[in-house]
Amino acid sequence: MKQRATPRFLLLVSAFVVCTPGWGQEAARFTRQRMAMVDLITAHGVRDSATLDAMRKVPRHEFVAPETLTRAYGDHPLPIGYGQTISQPYIVAFMTEVLRPKPGMRVLEVGTGSGYQAAVLAHIGCEVFSIELIGALATSARDRLDRLGYTAEVRHADGHHGWPEGGSFDAIIVTAAAGYIPPALVEQLRTGGRMIIPVGSVYGVQNLILVEKRGDGDLRTRNLLPVRFVPMLSGIR
Amino acid sequence: MTALARILAVGFLSAGTLAYELLLVRAFAIEHFHHFAFMAIGVAMLGFGVSGTVIATVRDLSPSRAATWFIAASLLTPVALLMSPILIHRIPLDPTQLPVSVAEIPKLATVYVLAALPFAVGAAAVLLGLTASTRHVGRLYGASLIGSGLGAAAAIGILWLAAPEPALALPAVLAGGGAFAASLTAQRRQQVVLATLLTIGSLAAFRWPPWEFTITPYKELPQVEAYPDAKRTAERNSPVGWVVAVEAPAFRYAPGLSLAYRGAFPPQRALFVDGQIAGAAARWAADTASDAVLDWLPSSAPYSVVPPERVLVIGSGGGTEVWNAVAHGADDVTAVELQPSLLTLSRDLATVPPAWARSRVTWVSGDARNFVARTAARYDLITLAQGGGYGLAAAGVHALNEDFLHTEEAYAHYFRLLTDRGVLAITGWLRTPPRESVRTVLTLAQALHQVSDGPTARQLIVLRSWGTVTVMARPAGFSDREIATLAHWARSRQFDLDWYPGLEAPQSEFNFIDEPILYRAADAAVRGAESAQQFAAAYPFDVTPATDARPYPHHFLRATAVADLLRLETGSWLPFAEWGYLTLLATLAQSAVLAALFLILPVAVRRGRRRGLGPLVLYFGAIGLAYLAAEIAAIQQLGLLLGHPVYAVAVVLSAVLISSGLGSAWSDRWGVARGWAAPLALAGLFIVYAVFLLPLVHQFQSASLPARAMVAFAALAPVAFLMGFPFPLGLRGFQPEPDRLAWAWAANGFSSVIAAPLAALVALDAGSPALFLVAAAGYAVAALVWRIEGSRPG
Repeated sequence: MKQRATPRFLLLVSAFVVCTPGWGQEAARFTRQRMAMVDLITAHGVRDSATLDAMRKVPRHEFVAPETLTRAYGDHPLPIGYGQTISQPYIVAFMTEVLRPKPGMRVLEVGTGSGYQAAVLAHIGCEVFSIELIGALATSARDRLDRLGYTAEVRHADGHHGWPEGGSFDAIIVTAAAGYIPPALVEQLRTGGRMIIPVGSVYGVQNLILVEKRGDGDLRTRNLLPVRFVPMLSGIR
Repeated sequence: MTALARILAVGFLSAGTLAYELLLVRAFAIEHFHHFAFMAIGVAMLGFGVSGTVIATVRDLSPSRAATWFIAASLLTPVALLMSPILIHRIPLDPTQLPVSVAEIPKLATVYVLAALPFAVGAAAVLLGLTASTRHVGRLYGASLIGSGLGAAAAIGILWLAAPEPALALPAVLAGGGAFAASLTAQRRQQVVLATLLTIGSLAAFRWPPWEFTITPYKELPQVEAYPDAKRTAERNSPVGWVVAVEAPAFRYAPGLSLAYRGAFPPQRALFVDGQIAGAAARWAADTASDAVLDWLPSSAPYSVVPPERVLVIGSGGGTEVWNAVAHGADDVTAVELQPSLLTLSRDLATVPPAWARSRVTWVSGDARNFVARTAARYDLITLAQGGGYGLAAAGVHALNEDFLHTEEAYAHYFRLLTDRGVLAITGWLRTPPRESVRTVLTLAQALHQVSDGPTARQLIVLRSWGTVTVMARPAGFSDREIATLAHWARSRQFDLDWYPGLEAPQSEFNFIDEPILYRAADAAVRGAESAQQFAAAYPFDVTPATDARPYPHHFLRATAVADLLRLETGSWLPFAEWGYLTLLATLAQSAVLAALFLILPVAVRRGRRRGLGPLVLYFGAIGLAYLAAEIAAIQQLGLLLGHPVYAVAVVLSAVLISSGLGSAWSDRWGVARGWAAPLALAGLFIVYAVFLLPLVHQFQSASLPARAMVAFAALAPVAFLMGFPFPLGLRGFQPEPDRLAWAWAANGFSSVIAAPLAALVALDAGSPALFLVAAAGYAVAALVWRIEGSRPG
């Protein structure tokens, strides 16, 4: 009897949740806010259709802290705990577009945070390898991505060493600021690959730099725009 | 007995409140950032004015009633000074979220109120003391000023002896002494016992602080301390900063390292000042070859041009550039660092291979401008970083961030210390759009014009990496062979040369930016002063060379351009790119609105008593503004003379306040009929100061510290003595009725509060001589009001 009662009870709860007017309204509100957010990003000059489509679909409100839920779709970074932030939506879109993402592309992300950037890349179809230095954030991001159905490998590790056994990557995206560009990341970028990284004074304003590895092994950098990221931490906690 | 006890009480209470102001700024600066500290305390200072407004609303406040309330307010002051930090540290405010989160605003407002409370209660006690004894206004007000001066000295002194956390109890201890003295005026046993208990309680708080500092997680210290196996290995306190060393195996520090570097890193210990990274002390070991990393830093560029024998490192920080010079074969290296604890730790924590022992390293703790003014040595290389200097803000007075290491006069001085083949090299981060680096190019070119007649085109080189800019200047000029050697060195490290003698068009091989700004800046700079001025005038940011009169090399926003820049597509980054200046504007706006509200509202409520208030408010407002403007201008200019922010704050605040206090006490003998003469004389004197004080500072810069301190004191004390006259004379002149006394207090307090951010803005945009002229104008207005109202006073 008990075994049959439980599914009925769950069914009842599910039906109640689905039929609750507040739930539907909230989902619709988030969708409207997400569309408005993408309109703003488009107005700022992001044009890549795959990136914009991912930004329209990935529920950013699932990646923010409960106390900042009402600001989930505002164009600004939000705290996610441990002194870390979820980046401003425009910056996420801009960095994604710069990488020229395509399905099947191997992308290394340094600084998983809440997992939002990894979700955007995974939605596009990239093979995502993501490193997070803070253990609690790595665990929660992994769980969140699994729950929402995004495929990404999340590792609790020191981003300065990259993902040595992962081979070379078509693109590397670093979402935490560093005072220098870690040599390991340069080595793990394949020839013709692109890396985007915020560099400069660790606290304060950094420059978003695009690093391209050319056929001759030389690197080319381009200074894209000033940004402010949380610092990239070395070591694991 | 009563009069003496009241004077002592007022002195101690004033000492407590001023010490609280300075120590709370230090606390906020450590826990958050200097800009927030400036804003929070700037607004909290309104508490002084509010006390006057509140007492002004009390009808028929007799001297005897005021005497009773004086004791109550005196007893409340140490309580407020203890409760304020306790409660502030229970509010989970995150100032970094203020621009985006409405939820933080009530928390900020609560912090304002809690911070303002001790100032309001302490100021009310002083005002009630003045109301209770109108016959000795000068003496009592003088005691307040002298107490404030001693409180400033005590606050700075305690930071040499104790950590900032327990030091925050000192104001309550001082105010406890004031409460004890006040309780003696009525000679009631319960009040004396209560005052004694409060003093004992404050002393206990000093030993066991009932508050705990929480450093914002956005500073590097808490983050590095969270690394695996991280441990704090050293901690030092001083008024210029709280210095911490942390050992963490995973920590690495190599700003601007070449992308082509593939070698090893040495183990490093992170060094922090007020929780922010200030450098790293490394363990250099010959067997790991980790010292190779040094030659791949952009700051090593000058070593490829000239192997130096003698090197001067200005602002040595964690010591990286010191060991860079040693690793490149320098025989003699001198490191100058303003922050004494940082110098000690960087020297003591570093380990070097035996081969480096052949070099002689001299560590100098102190101000580099003073060092270069008195040294007779000559150097093959002088190297410094763009943002190396600590401003007076570090001492917790204000957030103006003066930096005398990067002014036109400073660069000219460095050039004079170079040998015939000597090079001056300055490295810093490349910002987008470029600002510091552009100003460095223009300032170096301007200084080169001062020291040499040769063509500037051969004297400058600009090297750029993926994120840094190194500007090198040599009065003797660079040869083609040296340029070729440097170009080879730079190419192997994937650095670009944006400017060098003979370059005819902008070029980038490895690192690309949207516009060749640095090429254009250098091209304009070498063509001459007029061309450089035209370039600077057309640039969207203020990149004109900083001078000793306007020593703000890190300030780039033009007040008139803020609105235009915010409208640009990239304007959204402006708040965090230049937030110091915007915080200053926010502080001024908040102070002005609140001041107007607290002044106008009570006047509107009390309709019948407005008559004659206009001139009174104008007079006391003008002298409040003038006093602060003169004080801030003096701190700035004498900071250059005294060579150390602590000396500047200690000497200027103490000398000005104590001399003003003595002047105020002496003013009781001065006839009210000639009351206009003091502000008029001050107006004239400050015009003279605007012209002659800075040249005087330059004249004595190479003297010994005691001599410079004496010059500073001699320059300030007489005029500060006179600055003590206008307030008590005004009180007597504008009829000493209790409510008018309160209005005078409120007007003076409010204008002082507005004056702090206003003076900072004037100094930033027009320089400290202009600030002396503002002080002169304020005193001239006061003299004029007195003359116009001539029949009324007295």
